[in-house]
Amino acid sequence: MSETILTVDSVTKCFGGLTAVDDVSFTVQKGEIVGLIGPNGAGKTTLFNVISGYYSPTKGSVVFQGNDISGKPPYHLAGVGIGRTFQVVKPFAGLTVLENVVIASFLKHPKRTDAERHAWQVLETTGLADRAHVSAAGLTLAGRKRLEISKALALEPAFLLLDEVVAGLNPTEADRTVELIMKLKGQGLTILIVEHIMRVIMNISDRLVVLNFGRKIAEGTPAEVCGDAQVIQAYLGEAAA
Amino acid sequence: MKTTNSRGPAILGILVAALLILPLVVHDTFVLRVLTEGIMWIGLAIAFDVIAGYTGYLNFGHGAFFGIGAYTIAILMMQANLPFWAALPAGGLAAGVVALIAGIPTLRLKGAYFAIATWALSRAIQQLALNVEFTGGPDGMRLNAFLNPQFFYYLMLITVGLTFLILWYLLERAPFGLKLKAIREDEEGAKALGLNPTKLKMQAFILSALPTGILGGIYAYWITFIDPSSTLGDLVSDQAVVMVVFGGMGTLFGPALGALLIFAFKTIFWAYLSDFQLLYLIILGALIAVSVIFIPNGLWGTLFKRKAAPPRREEPALTAVVAPEEGN
Amino acid sequence: MELLPQALTDGILLGGIYITIAIAFSLTYGVMHVIDFAVGEWIMFGAFTGFYLNKWTGLDPFIFLPVIFVLYFGIGYLIQPVIHRVLSGTKGNPFLMGLVFTFGLAIMFRGLALTVFGFYSNSIPSMFSEGSFNIDQFGITVTIPAVRLVGLCYALAITGFLHYLLKKTNFGLGVRALAQHKDAAGLMGVNSKRTGSFVYGIYVGISAMTGVLMGCILSIGAQMGNEYTIFAFFVVVLAGMGYLAGVPWAALLLGLVQSIFMIYFNPSHTLLAVFAILYVILLISPRGLFGKGV
Repeated sequence: MSETILTVDSVTKCFGGLTAVDDVSFTVQKGEIVGLIGPNGAGKTTLFNVISGYYSPTKGSVVFQGNDISGKPPYHLAGVGIGRTFQVVKPFAGLTVLENVVIASFLKHPKRTDAERHAWQVLETTGLADRAHVSAAGLTLAGRKRLEISKALALEPAFLLLDEVVAGLNPTEADRTVELIMKLKGQGLTILIVEHIMRVIMNISDRLVVLNFGRKIAEGTPAEVCGDAQVIQAYLGEAAA
Repeated sequence: MKTTNSRGPAILGILVAALLILPLVVHDTFVLRVLTEGIMWIGLAIAFDVIAGYTGYLNFGHGAFFGIGAYTIAILMMQANLPFWAALPAGGLAAGVVALIAGIPTLRLKGAYFAIATWALSRAIQQLALNVEFTGGPDGMRLNAFLNPQFFYYLMLITVGLTFLILWYLLERAPFGLKLKAIREDEEGAKALGLNPTKLKMQAFILSALPTGILGGIYAYWITFIDPSSTLGDLVSDQAVVMVVFGGMGTLFGPALGALLIFAFKTIFWAYLSDFQLLYLIILGALIAVSVIFIPNGLWGTLFKRKAAPPRREEPALTAVVAPEEGN
Repeated sequence: MELLPQALTDGILLGGIYITIAIAFSLTYGVMHVIDFAVGEWIMFGAFTGFYLNKWTGLDPFIFLPVIFVLYFGIGYLIQPVIHRVLSGTKGNPFLMGLVFTFGLAIMFRGLALTVFGFYSNSIPSMFSEGSFNIDQFGITVTIPAVRLVGLCYALAITGFLHYLLKKTNFGLGVRALAQHKDAAGLMGVNSKRTGSFVYGIYVGISAMTGVLMGCILSIGAQMGNEYTIFAFFVVVLAGMGYLAGVPWAALLLGLVQSIFMIYFNPSHTLLAVFAILYVILLISPRGLFGKGV
């Protein structure tokens, strides 16, 4: 296919005696959406934290656009083009929605007026413009998840890590978020997404990577992965396999 | 982003004009002296708020930076025979350097460490001044008197005015202030947006220490006598905390208001109730406690409520349970 | 060199007492997630209470230890809900406010003590004040004042009591759960309010009792609080904030530093040495000597 944007190479992450991510490798091509799935505790969020610089890998490396970024701090990665959202949404609660996004916009627009203009554009895209002057603490869960995406987008990243941006939303809200994600893909953004809701992840992903107990157990198109015996076993237990 | 109404600048303009003309009208040295010190406290309070209110890191040893500035200038003027204008910047610089040294180990850590460390630092600086030769030990230092109340009034006014303008620009207009607030609200989240928290906190700490040191220097030359128990004592730090907490953290006007009110109170209290000076300490402490409980946003924040601040609706307990571990 | 055994003995005896303050202080931090800047002031209040009780009744201050504990436990138990309220506030930054609050308490207490007790320095007389044991063997001469030996026994008893409370009782289990994860423990049925009040009460009670001891061994004064606050900070930071197992070692180290400076150097440089060590530890191992702090 096209060029590789991210290479996760034999990444292992241990916390004391616990191996949360165990020798995982995969690549992400430019412009595609890769879904990262697996049961609870499979190590998805840990892997996200390694890729986005919050944890440094115990072993292995992460290469982004040809540069080894393993162990680089998150603020450095934001600078080279990796944007991320948090599963537990982290708005700057004491600030307004607009201010939240302006802060992220400073990365590419050091001047405040430019940053504000850019933040407005992002809020238009994500549909939060009408709430721009509301305190971030006053948003609903759906609004907060949208704000998370807005902040990540304001960084103008080449690569976006989305951590459960759909889970917890009602069907209408979920559809709007999926629509947004597809729109971003259409703009050429590469996306790695963790999601629990199968309906969503199966529909939007070009490829899937499946983790279980920290190991990669399958990789391929949604259709391929669905037929994989190991995957079915991981999700549904022994009997179903 | 309208944070002040249209009357704000007008009122401020009138205030500044009045302050500039004042010494031409008022010749009473006592009044001038009180005003000079009042202005100084406004400067100390707003400088304190850079790291406390905007960044969310409590510096319980703010007085140390004031004292460092005072001592630096006293030592340079009396022992190196430097003129005042040459010594003054060194006062700010010394305070900034100490902030850097104190900040390196502590600003990487949680705020509790910073609070402890700065408080301990202020005690350590006091001990140091008591125990070394060149500071005059417990006897303190005397500077050559330059008795010109108008000079010090204007110098203080200009210094604090400039500090206010620079801080206002950096914190309320430039990106820097918003970045600091992001750190205050959520340090981990801020990292994902390209902000380097340790670096920003360090800049804020130094920005807070610099003017504090300069004000200490002016104070030393003005009062002409400094010693460890007054210049480096707890009272400077304690008052700064009260002024900012009572006035309203995270703004510039709040601390200024707090400084004015507390200083006015102190002046009246010490003038009429000088036999009960210790009572002042109790009142300060009680005022902090009462402010925290009843007006956590301070006087300014309570009087001029920001429009967009409805209470948090989400249940905090549940969101916190599923919070991921914060790094290691 | 002949003074070294004496310095070491003094240091260990003194450090033993610091353990009691620091464990209770560290425990409070673990449960309430706030640093109590008034720790030294509780010690000071306890010392004065012992001083006056002794003066009025003529009885030995050690007899009053239980009374002082109960009294200050009660005070702490009643004050804690206020701190809890500040910490669970929704306006502003609760953590910041909690720190500011205890800082305000410390200022208020110091002012109160200066007003009531004045600037004088005193010491509390006890029946153990005079006696001492001399050990003179293998060419080593060590004098152990009786009062310091009693202090060590006290420290062992308190530490043992806290150990039992934390490791063997349901209450202790709740405390440890709270220290691990405040909200999760709450969901599991640990009453964080009541447990917090108990822990804070125990901490205030122990600090006050220790104050009496320090008053017998060293001296008391309305301004003594600052010094003990610094000592408490020193010990918990060196131990690693919230890491109880590190406390004894850090406390002993503090005792040794203090006694070595008293004997070999200028005692007024003790605090400077304490700060220097604190700075170096924060610089090279910010999570304490054992790297286990939070």
